[in-house]
Amino acid sequence: MKTLIELDINGRVHEVAVDARDLLIDVIRKKAGLTGTKKGCGEGDCGACTVLIDGKPELSCIKLAIACQGKKITTIEGLVQEGGTLHPIQQAFVDKGAVQCGFCTPGMVMSAKGLLDRIPHPSEHEIKHEMSGNICRCTGYKKIIEAVQAAADVWSEQGVE
Amino acid sequence: MFLNHFEYFAPKTPAETLELVSHLGSKAKILAGGTDLLIVMKSKAISPEYLIDINGVEEFKGILCEPGKGAVIGTNTKLAEIQYSEELKAKYPALAYAAGEVGSSQVRHMASLGGNSCNASPAAETPTPLAALGAKVTLESLSGTRELALEDFILGVRKLDLAEGEMLTKFTLPEPAAKSACRYAYMGRRDAMEIDSVNMAVNIELEPDGETIKSLKLVMGSVYPRPLVSKEVPALLTGQKLSAELVEKAAEAAQGEAKPIDDIRASAEYRREIVKVLAQRLLNDTYQAAKGV
Ligand SMILES: Cc1cc2nc3c(=O)[nH]c(=O)nc-3n(C[C@H](O)[C@H](O)[C@H](O)COP(=O)(O)OP(=O)(O)OC[C@H]3O[C@@H](n4cnc5c(N)ncnc54)[C@H](O)[C@@H]3O)c2cc1C
Ligand code: FES
Ligand code: FES
Repeated sequence: MKTLIELDINGRVHEVAVDARDLLIDVIRKKAGLTGTKKGCGEGDCGACTVLIDGKPELSCIKLAIACQGKKITTIEGLVQEGGTLHPIQQAFVDKGAVQCGFCTPGMVMSAKGLLDRIPHPSEHEIKHEMSGNICRCTGYKKIIEAVQAAADVWSEQGVE
Repeated sequence: MFLNHFEYFAPKTPAETLELVSHLGSKAKILAGGTDLLIVMKSKAISPEYLIDINGVEEFKGILCEPGKGAVIGTNTKLAEIQYSEELKAKYPALAYAAGEVGSSQVRHMASLGGNSCNASPAAETPTPLAALGAKVTLESLSGTRELALEDFILGVRKLDLAEGEMLTKFTLPEPAAKSACRYAYMGRRDAMEIDSVNMAVNIELEPDGETIKSLKLVMGSVYPRPLVSKEVPALLTGQKLSAELVEKAAEAAQGEAKPIDDIRASAEYRREIVKVLAQRLLNDTYQAAKGV
C-alpha cells in the first residue's frame, strides 16, 4: 500500500508516493530524480549513499523514506551555490585532485560537510576518525584528507552555508 | 535488495508506543536507528509484519547527567551524542569513548544506545563499559516497570530478558565513587567499521588511602555469548595494592574465564592472547587513573 508523503530535499518539498519499505536512497534517486547520491554496498559499509538529515550525516541505503517526513534532507545537489558555482568543499576536492572515478565523491563531500559543520578546523586524526565510513577505491585517501583541510581554511574565510 | 512488506507505525508518546508494543507482540519490531534491524531485514533473516518507529518519541531521547546524580540516558539517544557529550566524557569516559568507536560517523548518528544492547551481539561495543559502570536498564510495558542490571538483561546471542509487550526505555548509571575510574579498550583488525575481536572495560574503586583496591569490576566482550563479568579478577585483587605480579596473575585469570570462539574475525587462540594483553593494559591504566595519576 502506497502512502503519499512530503519530503524536504534541498529545501524543495517533493510529494512522493512511497511504500513503507522504500529506502530513502531509492526515493532520492528514482522518485526525486536526484542521482548524485550513489548506492554502493546497500548495507551501511561504504558511505557512498551519505546524505545529511537535519544536518547530520546518515546512510540513505538503510533509512526508510517514510521515516524522513518533516526532516530536512540535503544531498550533494543541495550544496550548489548561487549562480551554479561549486561549494568550497567540492572546489577543494577538485583543486586537490581528490576525485578519480568519482563514485565515492558525493558521499565523501557530504560526510566532510557534516564534519566541518560541527568541527570547523578538524585535526587530521579527527578527519580520519569521522570520515572512516566513506570508502574510496581510487585515491588512497591522502588527497581527500588534504581537500578537507583546504576546504576548512577556505570555508571559514568565506562563511558560506 | 528489497525489504519485506510491513506496516509502519510512528507513535509520538511513550504511552502510544507501549500500547503498540503490547498490541502487536512478537510480529512487531521496534525501529530505533535501524542500523542492525534493516540489515537483517535486507538479508531476510527476519521479516517482521510491523515496525514501530520510536524516533518521534522525545521522551526516549536525551542525556541527563548532573553533578553528583549519576546519569540517565534515554534508549534512543544516538551514539554520536554520547560520543560528543562533554558531561559524559568527563564523568564516564569509558562509555563516551566506546560509543565513539562504533562503526562510522554515519552509523553513530543513526544508531541508538538501546539498539546496541537490544541487538544482543556478543561483539557489541557499549554493553561492556555499561556493565562495568553498573548501568541498569528500565524495561516498561503496559502492566508495569522493572529494572535490571545490564549484564542480566543480555542473556546470550540475540537473547534478552525481555518479555513480550515490554521494551527498553532508559539506562541509569550510578554516580562514580570518589577515587574510582573506569576505562575501555578493544582490539580489532582495523580501527574503523570493524566489529571488535575482543573488548574490555575495567572499573576500579580505591580505599581512602588511594592505593588499596576496594572494589573492581572487569567485563569482557566478544569472548562469551554475553558480556562476561569476571569473578576471579575481583577475588584476586580486592583488598590489594596493584603490583606487576598481581596484574600478571589477574590477566591470566581473565584469560582462563574467557570462552572465545573461532570466527571470520579472529581465532579463539588469538582472542585468548588478546584478553591477556587488554587486561594487563587496562588494569594498569585504570588503577593509575583511579589514583589520580
Ligand atoms: C556499517 C555498520 C557498522 C557497525 N559497526 C558496529 C561496531 O563497530 N560496534 C557495534 O557494537 N555495533 C556496530 N554496528 C551495529 C549497530 O550499529 C549497533 O548495534 C547499533 O547500536 C544498533 O542501534 P540501532 O538504534 O540502529 O538499532 P536498531 O537496528 O534500530 O535495533 C536493533 C534491535 O534492537 C531492537 N530494539 C531497538 N530499540 C529497542 C528498545 N528500546 N526496546 C526493545 N528493543 C529494541 C530492534 O527491534 C532490533 O531488533 C554496525 C552496524 C553497521 C551497519
Ligand atoms: S550504499 Fe549505503 S553505505 Fe554503501
Ligand atoms: S574516486 Fe573512485 S572510489 Fe573514490
